[in-house]
Formats: sequence, C-alpha cells, structure tokens
Amino acid sequence: MSLLTFLAHQWHSFWRARNANKSLVLQIILGIFYLLIFLEIAGIGILLPYLLEERMPGKDPVLLFSSYIIYYFLTGLLFRFQLQELPSLSIQPYLTQNIKRSSMLRFLNVRSVVHVINILPLFVFIPFSVVVILPAYGTVATVCFLVSMFALVVNNHFLNMYIKRRSISSSWWFFAIIIIIAILKGFDYFKIISFEKTSANLFIGLLHHPWLCIIPLALATVIFLINNNYLRSHLYIEELVSERKLTISKKYSFLDKYGDVGEMIALDLKLIFRNKRPKSLIILSGVILLYGFIFYPKYLQTGNYTVLFLFALFITGLFISNYGQFLFAWQSSHFDGMMSYNINMKQYIKAKFSLFVTVCSLQFLIASFYGFMGWRILPIQLAAFLYSIGVNSFVTIYAATYNYKYLNLSKSASMNFQGIGALQWLQSLLISFGPVGVFYLLNKFVGFWAAIICISALGITGLALNEVIINWLVGQFNIRKHKILEGFRER
Amino acid sequence: MISIKKLQKSYKGITAVDIDVLEIHAGEVIGLVGNNGAGKTTFFRLLLDLIRANSGEILSKGNLVTTTEEWKSYTAAYIDEGFLIDYLTPEEYFYFVGKLNQLSKADVDDFLHTYQAFFDDAILKKGKYIRDFSKGNQFKIGIIAALLTNPELLILDEPFANLDPTTQLRLVDMIKKMAADNRMCIIVSSHDINHVSEVSSRILLMEKGKIIKDIAGGEAAYDEMVEYFKVK
Repeated sequence: MSLLTFLAHQWHSFWRARNANKSLVLQIILGIFYLLIFLEIAGIGILLPYLLEERMPGKDPVLLFSSYIIYYFLTGLLFRFQLQELPSLSIQPYLTQNIKRSSMLRFLNVRSVVHVINILPLFVFIPFSVVVILPAYGTVATVCFLVSMFALVVNNHFLNMYIKRRSISSSWWFFAIIIIIAILKGFDYFKIISFEKTSANLFIGLLHHPWLCIIPLALATVIFLINNNYLRSHLYIEELVSERKLTISKKYSFLDKYGDVGEMIALDLKLIFRNKRPKSLIILSGVILLYGFIFYPKYLQTGNYTVLFLFALFITGLFISNYGQFLFAWQSSHFDGMMSYNINMKQYIKAKFSLFVTVCSLQFLIASFYGFMGWRILPIQLAAFLYSIGVNSFVTIYAATYNYKYLNLSKSASMNFQGIGALQWLQSLLISFGPVGVFYLLNKFVGFWAAIICISALGITGLALNEVIINWLVGQFNIRKHKILEGFRER
Repeated sequence: MISIKKLQKSYKGITAVDIDVLEIHAGEVIGLVGNNGAGKTTFFRLLLDLIRANSGEILSKGNLVTTTEEWKSYTAAYIDEGFLIDYLTPEEYFYFVGKLNQLSKADVDDFLHTYQAFFDDAILKKGKYIRDFSKGNQFKIGIIAALLTNPELLILDEPFANLDPTTQLRLVDMIKKMAADNRMCIIVSSHDINHVSEVSSRILLMEKGKIIKDIAGGEAAYDEMVEYFKVK
C-alpha cells in the first residue's frame, strides 16, 4: 500500500467526518479566516526587517533576526507540547491488513509532519530570507539558510513526537523548557553569557559558510532516525498512546446540600476536569484573568472606560460564552441517558445557570484585586459581572438550544472548530458587543455612572426574573429537544 | 402500564414504527424480536421520548410521555453507550443515578453488594472511567444502573448480545425473578430467541415497523419464532 493511499484516506476522513461543517458559507468564512492568518504571517516575514529597523535603527536586521532564532525554536517546542498530538490511532485499522511495517511507519512520519505548526514558520522564513538575506548574501547562502531553518523545524517536530511517545506526561518537559528559557534569558539580561550573541554568531556564521547547513540537517536526521526506530519497535496500539493513570472516585460534598441541582453541577465539574477539550477552555478562562495586567493600566490612563468594560466582560464572563456555547453538546455522547434519567428539566437548566453563576462569581472575586490599579475598575467589573450572569447566561442557554452538533470531548480545543456553526459566531458577537454598545452610548452622552447603573440594572433584572426566564428556557428546550437528541446521535 | 395508539414514525418516507394499538400491562415481560431494521430500537426511543413520533400517542400510566415527566421516576432503560456518562467511574455513575432517584450512598452500596456475582469482580474499585471498560463490561454497568432504581418499567435493548454466556444466564434468572417478585413490567429486545422465549410472558414480533405477531411466551413461542426466522 502506497503512502498516497494512506494520505488519501486521511483526506477522506477529514472531509467526510460526520460533523464536518457542511455549511458552505461557514466553510468559506473559515477559509478566508485561514487565508488571512497565512497572509498576515507572510506579511510579518516581509515587514520584519522594516519593523526591526524602526524599533532598533542602525542595526543589521539579519543580525537581530539571527540572535532570536534559538529562543524562537525553544518557545516553538513549548507550543508543540500543547498543540501537537500523536497521530497514532489513525493507523489502527491498518495494523491487521497486509501492509508492511515500514510503509506504515513512513505514513505515520509523513502524516505527523503535516501540521500548521510546521507550515506557519515557513511563511515567515521564506519571505524574510528573500527580502533581506538574498540581496546581502547571495543565492547559495539563502538556500542553505532556508534548508537549515527547515531542518530545525523538522528537528523540533520529531523531538516533540519522541518526547510525547516516551513520556506519559509532557508537562514536566513543558516546565523544564520554560525554566531553560528563563535561565538563558537571565544570563542574557544580567550580561553573564549572551545567548543572543551566540545565536547570532551561529547563524551569521552559517550564512558565511553555507556548507555548515549539514549540521542542522544531520541533527534532524538523527532525531528522525531515533524516533523511527522507537516507533518500529513499538508499533502496538497500547504502546502508541500514552499510558492511563489510575483514577479515584471523587465527591464534591459541598454540593450535597443543593440536592439534584448540586448533583448535576458536580457532574458538570467532573466533565470539565476529566476531558481534554473542556479542560483547556477552563485553563483559557484562567489565563484571561491575567489580561487585566496587560490592558487595564493603558486604558485606565487614557480614561477609555468602554474598552475597559469590554475587557471586564471578558475577564468576568468568558466562561459563560466558552462553556455555554456547547452547554448541552458537552454531554452529547450520553444525552440519550440525560433525557431518560429521572431528571426534572427545570432543575437541569437551573443547574446549568447555577454553574455559570458559581464560576463567574469566582472569576469576579479574583478579578476584584485589579481594584488596586484604580478604583474605577471595581464598578466596571461589577457591572460586567452582573450583566454576564443576569443577561448573557440566559442568552447563552437559549442559543445552546439551537446547537445540534455532537462534540468529541477528547480532542483538544485549539484550532478545533468542531461543533461551531454560524450561530456560535453570531452569539459571541452579540453577547460581547451588545452591552459594550449600550455602555459606550450611555458613557458618552449621559455619563460614566449612568452606564454602570444601567448595565447593572439589566443584569439585576435578569437575576430577579430568573425563575420566569428559566421556565421559558425549559419550554424552548422542550420544543427542540428531539432535534438536539437526533443531532447528537449523529457522530 | 403503557398504552399506544396509532403510533407512527418514518424516516424519509420509510416507515420505522407503525403500531395501531398496543397495551402493555404491569407484571408482563415483553420479548421484542425482529430482524435488523424492524424498528425495535426506534420503538424504545419513542417510549422514552427520545425521538418525536410523526403521529399517534404513547401513554404511560395514563399520561402522555411527550408532555409529562412523571414517567421518568418509574422508568429505567439501557439502550446503548449513549446512556452511560463515560467520564465517571462506575461507582460515581451508580451514586449519581441513585441520587436522582432518592437513594443514599448506603442504599446503592447495599444494592451493588447483592449484584456482586453479576459484576464478576471486573467492575467495582478498578480505578477506571467507564470509557476505559470493554464493551461487555460497559453493558453490565448500564444494566445494573437501570435495575438500581427498582423501576416499574424496565427497558433493555438487546441485553444478551454483548454479555458473556455466564452473565447471559444470570440475566435470564434475574429478569424472571424480578418479574415474579415485583410485578415489574420489563421489555427486552433480543436476537436470541432461546433466551427471549424463556424469560418472556409475551412475545411481540416486529417486521418493518409493524407488530405482526403477538403471542404468549414459552416453548410454543420458540417454535413459532424458529419457523418465522428460518431461511426460506
């Protein structure tokens, strides 16, 4: 069986996936989105020398560029740990067929290389080299430079694959690399040993002596061979996937006193912490909390409260839109069960709402420490918080009743558009820019406090009416219940 | 217990279920048989209000299953893995289902203790999530969770298909015992005409969505099914 047949199967599996987005409009939008990303990155490659010139005038852009290459590849490795997955399971159906091991290996290797993270850097390196290096150092040097860069990308790629295959968890490696980068940066910062200079010397040297590109090539070949040999001797499904740890039953006893609603919140919490995709969303919601450090000071200074309010909405309410857009879809693999257990639908919806309120309150409390940056942050965040739980939570639950797409929980969330339809895009625009628009107008034409009070009042009204709204949502849910169930059964 | 009138469900013009009148009484053990595509699973899903019928109605204890929720409190079902919450451990899952039916942890533990033999030491305290169990063991978990709530109406879709021979025989005994002791209404579908004729007090044979035979269980039913299913 040739490599091409394998790749053709992969191509089919991508496009024929049951829940691949069949909507043409969305595919076009996504297509444009990807194209823009690629163009932007290529643009960075072309504009990089000018940007460098502008920031640090009078310095050779090639020198500057070269001095960061080591750091680039180290941080690249970090991203790889998070973004890249082992493509092992795709060979499962072939293991029992009459196919030579070597061709399966070749497939695994080639398949793994096809990844955004390997392709994107080329969009920086190639334009940069053509614009800057080619005129200064000539064709041979440029080609050799590009070959080296590519070899280093491949080297990083297989190093990551190898580490992931060898170790149960790559998180130790992740932190080890962070520490290495910190140490190198530290040496640089305190001018003990300059790794930036080392990096520059290495790669400028490479440009002067193009034949040196055999070193990165050799490195890439060695790591490829190590990886290949390891795979050859471990071509068994149970050895290809990382090992499973022993799990312990957990009980959130503090939720006991809330009866069935508490029980369902506990279920949602377990869902979040035991599955890859929701877990990464939670981590994201945590990271967003740090955004305040980056954005608050700037806009506090300029007194741009509308932008502050937008960030406050993200910081206090991102969990709602992130988790809420798949509110029911998270449970799509066992939704048949959820609908036939002895669960009252009103309590079910109420549990979802309570989860939103709980997590958002937590985010709000933590974010209140930003009050130290300036007191105005507190009323802004309070208004954003009240609006999030009093209005956005219900809007999100309503929108979720229109989501009929099955969701696979074990795939990671980054660049994963499974289950996302046009409605989700619309919803995320609506729940963030709706209130921001109101805030902007009131703040501009009436005053800061009018905006705060109005937004808060909207939120409080929603909270006060929660019984009524939840009853209505149950009705809405029941109208589309069978459609949701049918959609979730299509995997 | 269940009464069905003019129930129809079709997919793209192809009839999946078409039942004119059907009454199912408490204490009956119904064996639902029929080849693939006869509409058994669709019928079960209709009973549980998981799909919407094109027309007709299903009454459970006199209430429509589509507009009321009371039936959930006395009905338990296991159709496929879609009923299992796969990121829970079996114990957590049992406690969850128990809690929803007002059973304490101790109640659930007691119950599990009496079914130890059924589990054959392969399920409890294994430190695994349900998703990491084999298909057969997942099936056992699903069946036990359905029994746990001591329902008045129990629905099992092909329970014998995924079980090992020992467990199949155990399940046959369990179903017989439950029906005799509790006057539980049990509906099982199966391709195993041997087991199904043994446990059932009444056999419904489906073909292309219609119930074409409605006969009493036992040896005679077995012979009739052999006659129907044999290759012509």
